[in-house]
Amino acid sequence: MTTTKELWENALVELALTISKPNFNTWFKETHIVRVEDGTVYLGVPSQFARDWLSTKFHKDILRSLRGLSDSVRSIEYIISRGQKKLDETRHVPAAPSELPLESVHAKTNLNPRFTFNTFVVGPFNELAHAAAQAVIRRPGSAYNPLLIYGPTGLGKTHLAQAIGNHFRINAPDRKIQYVTSEKFSMDYVSSLQTNKVQSFKEKYRQYELLIMDDVQFLARMEKTKEEFFHLFNFLHDGNKQLVFTSDQHPNVIQNIEDRLQSRFSAGMIVSVTPPDHDSRLAIVRSKALAHGMILADDVLEYLATTVEGNVRELEGALNLLLIQFELRGGPVTINDAKNVLRGASGSTKKSISVQEVVKIITSFYGIEEGSIYEKTRRKEVVRPRQVIMFLLREDFKISFPTIGEKLGGRDHTTVIHSCEKIKSDLTTDSILSQELHQIRLMLK
Amino acid sequence: MKFETSTEELLIAVATAGRFTEKRANLPVLSSILLSVEGHRLLLRATNLECGVEIYIPAKVSAEGVVAIPSSVLLGFLTNTRSKSVSVSLVGEVLVVETERASASIKTIPHDDFPILPRVSAERSFTVKSADLSRAIRSVAYCASTSAIKPELQSVLLYSEEGKCTAVATDSFRLAEKTVPLRGGGSVPQLLVPARNAAELMRIVDTVKGDVEIYYNDNQLSTQVEAVYYTSRLIDGTFPNYRQIIPKTFSTEAVVLREDVATALKSLSIFADKFSQVSLSIEPTKKAVLLSSRNPDIGEQTSNMRATVVGDGLTVSFNGRYLADSLQAISGESVRLSSNGAGKPMLIKDAADESFFYLAMPMNR
Repeated sequence: MTTTKELWENALVELALTISKPNFNTWFKETHIVRVEDGTVYLGVPSQFARDWLSTKFHKDILRSLRGLSDSVRSIEYIISRGQKKLDETRHVPAAPSELPLESVHAKTNLNPRFTFNTFVVGPFNELAHAAAQAVIRRPGSAYNPLLIYGPTGLGKTHLAQAIGNHFRINAPDRKIQYVTSEKFSMDYVSSLQTNKVQSFKEKYRQYELLIMDDVQFLARMEKTKEEFFHLFNFLHDGNKQLVFTSDQHPNVIQNIEDRLQSRFSAGMIVSVTPPDHDSRLAIVRSKALAHGMILADDVLEYLATTVEGNVRELEGALNLLLIQFELRGGPVTINDAKNVLRGASGSTKKSISVQEVVKIITSFYGIEEGSIYEKTRRKEVVRPRQVIMFLLREDFKISFPTIGEKLGGRDHTTVIHSCEKIKSDLTTDSILSQELHQIRLMLK
Repeated sequence: MKFETSTEELLIAVATAGRFTEKRANLPVLSSILLSVEGHRLLLRATNLECGVEIYIPAKVSAEGVVAIPSSVLLGFLTNTRSKSVSVSLVGEVLVVETERASASIKTIPHDDFPILPRVSAERSFTVKSADLSRAIRSVAYCASTSAIKPELQSVLLYSEEGKCTAVATDSFRLAEKTVPLRGGGSVPQLLVPARNAAELMRIVDTVKGDVEIYYNDNQLSTQVEAVYYTSRLIDGTFPNYRQIIPKTFSTEAVVLREDVATALKSLSIFADKFSQVSLSIEPTKKAVLLSSRNPDIGEQTSNMRATVVGDGLTVSFNGRYLADSLQAISGESVRLSSNGAGKPMLIKDAADESFFYLAMPMNR
């Protein structure tokens, strides 16, 4: 015995064939069977317009298709009811949790407890910054004051800065710590101006023994805030209070920043974080995966570390994608899963683009003549770009080895295979090559 | 089909029916109006499946028939003709419309799919003066929400108790209520008319003087105004119990001239920020109401109005447009502003008229 829902769905399928599409969409949308009693089908329709029209115009069609599906149907009654849909919706919505299950930000210090040294992966690219942070922890206020960490986005500047704060929050709870972004600082200042509470603003910020300010480069654009920041800086620094800043550029190259601020930043320690090399990326992926309770096979880790280039945040995003896959299916994630999942996510160069265009872009990148790629020359400056072209055509555009060979001046497919292997193995050691590839991929997007 | 009729009457009918057509419907025929000739009259019908209209006009009929044509085309042609009468005939699939000087051929649309309009039995009905009903809807309809998330807030609520018919609309930031007398007393349950349809109802009852009788059932509302039959879907929902949020007592009350507030709000809107924020202060010591708005990019303005003030001083911010909206429904000379302090809603009333009130929620900052 089919349920009424299935019965109506089947009937709709039949009706859709006999009735024109606009008519079907207009009149049969939001219809459903309310109940079936003694051979009478009670059909719920959204409005009286629909009821009147269905019963005069389509009654025969509906009755015929319902009879065809179920012999017991004798007649149809139309009733106006929107209830069904609503009920269904409410039934499927799970009770909303009263609060989002996020790790809450510590209210007093504004620190996110997730950022600690335990979860921070140290590698050659950030070990100096890490060491400086450790020194600050051992001798706050005197070792490196201020400590300024700079580097491109997504490499853990905020993590490191907050880790310092979290360390003190746990080990020295009576210290007054504050984490603030430069934007929040500026907003606070502006609103204190508007409400005539500048004094309490000053007092609030001057009480802190450890002040962590994120993204100080934005201060350069805010004239009044910059001045207030300058005074705050002097006050805290003179009182040997520890200051930690992050910025996306070295203070000397931030535009519009005054000399007096620049020199003050330079007075302490300026350390940089750079994009991680291959080995560090591998280590990061492994530790993040472990943190999520997921153990990945070595080839998957390797794949992640090589394909997802650039910053750690992207790496985390790719890992999260895998994690969902892992949770959905339950089984171990294989290299093929990883490839499938990340095809869209990492360096999405999947736009349709011709081989000629790829060749053009890469030759112009390396500054060689386009024609030379197709020639049989084995000059060194041509061979490398040609290999890169083959590698990219294979990896990003999934073109077969023989086709690549044919398109690039009639080469054998084994040549192409060799080239791809060569670039792949070089990638693991040669950071310049990986940067080049990253830039080329950006150009291909 | 073939008939002849007065241009003016046909023009008015086509213009009215045209407002009920739906341009973006799934069903193409809904963007047209149906002309059907029967006996000695012409029937025009249009619907967007939310509401619908049927208009009869007298005509000299030579042959009966039915046809659907795009309303905008016919309307455009009729608007620009000066002839007194117009003759219409169907030739094949083309409708030929002739006046003294011009003749147009309009392509018709297959009319088989043109829906019929729901009828509402006369069992349950109420009667109001047409001017009253139109005023009630006009006083509140602009408050209805434009978001489709809550259909009950997209509607105008009509109900009546103890011989009074009440219209209410709110979008949860402001609320307007207007009460008009009901002919013959009685009570009417809560009817939720979609605000767009209510506006059309208002325009239709506006065309007549005297009483109108409104028929309703659980899903549909309709009325017959002279030669026009109007019907609208009713929304199946529950209007929020708004009575409980209307304050009964107030800590501050000020009475100001309506004209003063209206002009002040108009000029303040120049300086308002993108949220149209207007700050309103009531100052008992100065016997004044101050309205000010400020946009950091443009400048600021303060308007000072003389007022009679009872109670404490007060400063609240409102959306200026919401305040201005309230005045369009107030016709008296002075306006009473009542509140219970900052952060509390403000009740706006015609000082001499108890039948209308407007409740505006303050802005957060």
